[in-house]
Amino acid sequence: MRVVVAEDLYLLRDGLVRLLEAYGHDVVAAVGDRDATVRALEEHRPDVAVIDVRMPPTHTDDGLRAALEARRARPDLCVLVLSQHIEQLYARELLADGRGGVGYLLKDRVFEAEQFIEAVERVGRGGTSLDPAVVSKILGAGATSPLDALTDREREVVALMAEGLSNQAIAQRLFLSEGSISKHTTSIFTKLGITPDDNSNRRVLAVLTFLGATGAA
Amino acid sequence: MSHARGGPLVVARSLVEGLTRSLVLVALTGFAPAVCVAAGAGLSAVVDTAAGAAGCLLGVLVAVLVLVARPVSAATRFLVARWTGGELPAAYQPLVPVTRMATGYWWNGYDYQRLRWFSLCQRWILRRTRDPAAWRDVLWLLVAPVTVGVASAIPPALIAVGVAGLAPHPVTSVVAVGVGTALLPRSWRSLGPVARRVLGPSTVELLSTRVASLVRGRADLTRAQDAELHRIERDLHDGAQARLVAIGLSLSAAERLVDTDPAGTRALLRQARATSLAALRDLRELVHGIVPPVLLERGLVDAVRALAVDAPVRTVVRSTLGRRLDTPVESALYFATAELVANAVKHSGATVVDIGIDRTGTGVAVTVTDDGRGGADRSRGSGLTGVESRLAAFDGTLRVDSPPGGPTTATAEVPCASS
Repeated sequence: MRVVVAEDLYLLRDGLVRLLEAYGHDVVAAVGDRDATVRALEEHRPDVAVIDVRMPPTHTDDGLRAALEARRARPDLCVLVLSQHIEQLYARELLADGRGGVGYLLKDRVFEAEQFIEAVERVGRGGTSLDPAVVSKILGAGATSPLDALTDREREVVALMAEGLSNQAIAQRLFLSEGSISKHTTSIFTKLGITPDDNSNRRVLAVLTFLGATGAA
Repeated sequence: MSHARGGPLVVARSLVEGLTRSLVLVALTGFAPAVCVAAGAGLSAVVDTAAGAAGCLLGVLVAVLVLVARPVSAATRFLVARWTGGELPAAYQPLVPVTRMATGYWWNGYDYQRLRWFSLCQRWILRRTRDPAAWRDVLWLLVAPVTVGVASAIPPALIAVGVAGLAPHPVTSVVAVGVGTALLPRSWRSLGPVARRVLGPSTVELLSTRVASLVRGRADLTRAQDAELHRIERDLHDGAQARLVAIGLSLSAAERLVDTDPAGTRALLRQARATSLAALRDLRELVHGIVPPVLLERGLVDAVRALAVDAPVRTVVRSTLGRRLDTPVESALYFATAELVANAVKHSGATVVDIGIDRTGTGVAVTVTDDGRGGADRSRGSGLTGVESRLAAFDGTLRVDSPPGGPTTATAEVPCASS
């Protein structure tokens, strides 16, 4: 895959480039601030961009904004956003268009090289990858939500779906057959009122409902 | 309409009210002069020489000023508060109890004395001579009769003259009664402004109160800052620092084993990685406690939204705030909001929390409303006190309205420039 890496800390940028190249990906640009990121995304049109939330010039959420803007301009762009901290708010903003091809992970996940690369590839193929920290926070919140209609098993499934796992991977994780997982997912889509639609990814919509579970406006 | 202006009942009520209030004020302000006049008359009858009478009169005058001043001004404050609705608080210097120090001397707030009774006497005198508020009481005693006293006395006097037919001509009597009646509802109102001018705190006192509160605020802030620094130091020392040491140890052990024991080396490296993850987690929590990253990145409104998303009850955030505020103000309001939401979740049993962030006339206000059981008492939880002192650093205020049975509304407001 052709990858753009945007990260302002040199050590981390360098590490990411090495890691991605070690797994056979082609890093077409490695940049360190917002403007360079925007330029690199336009110029190289990568399969996937790995972008840090906080970057120069303002050192606030420049990276996230650049990612959101780039996706608005080019809907098929896939981005994996990395951060030192995880906010449900940001996850929801990233997934809001319901199209998939987005990921949002803690920087710590880089330590698990294989899983990280898997996440990059999944996002590059148009899937999603949400940090388990976001997922567990939502499950721990215990507020009233559309998720109440789901059975415990279905909640487990939707949580893994949020992390970005495929039915097959979910089946492996829960020691169930792929067939029963697909039954669960159909039931989840029905309960959450998600109808088949060509333009949006049903799995992403389910994850969005999941993110909205705490009901905050 | 039933409450039409100038209905006969309303007029009658305001006249009766004016009459009673005027008479009360005449009695209050005329009391001290009356005592002096009575004493003068009595003394001149008893004492033969003019000099002796004058001396005695002076004595009576001083006694009246000293003894009557404070009760009269207390009564005045009471009437001002009751009739005009505006408070006119007394601002005496605090009464220091006479206490025996380790040296055996008695301290009365002003001076050390060997004898207790002497110390008590000294305090009694100094409280009346050193305190500007005491002098204002005396001034009021002198000023009130010729201002408020006269103003309140005129309408009843005019009416009395007219009614008793003492005026030289019937027309004059009618005019006197008319003017007196017209003035009756108004003249006593001179009490408010005059009393405020004479008895109210002076600019110097207002400023010194302000300075005192600023000094207190600064001390609180310095203490809070110091405590915060210590907490950060402790957290770093026990958390991330210790974990980095552990990582270093694992790595050096792994370095030694790398040739002889690949399996052991792998285990050590795994351990080092797990520890580094834990160190990162520690640092993240620490950073979040200092200033939540989302507050820095997005400002108050989004930070509160993120807070709402993480809250275990349904939390709605509304905001009309357009732009970012100063970072310290944002920080203070954020932590205040976090505390208020935590209180609502923990103590009230609320199912819905509503947060409003709005610009007010003078600043920005965050209102946290919950549908819980109410009855929140700020004197019990130290959380609210902490919020208050944090807000006080920016001249901010915290209002809590929490009737038993709910709902609870808490408003944190910080003044700030509006453009």
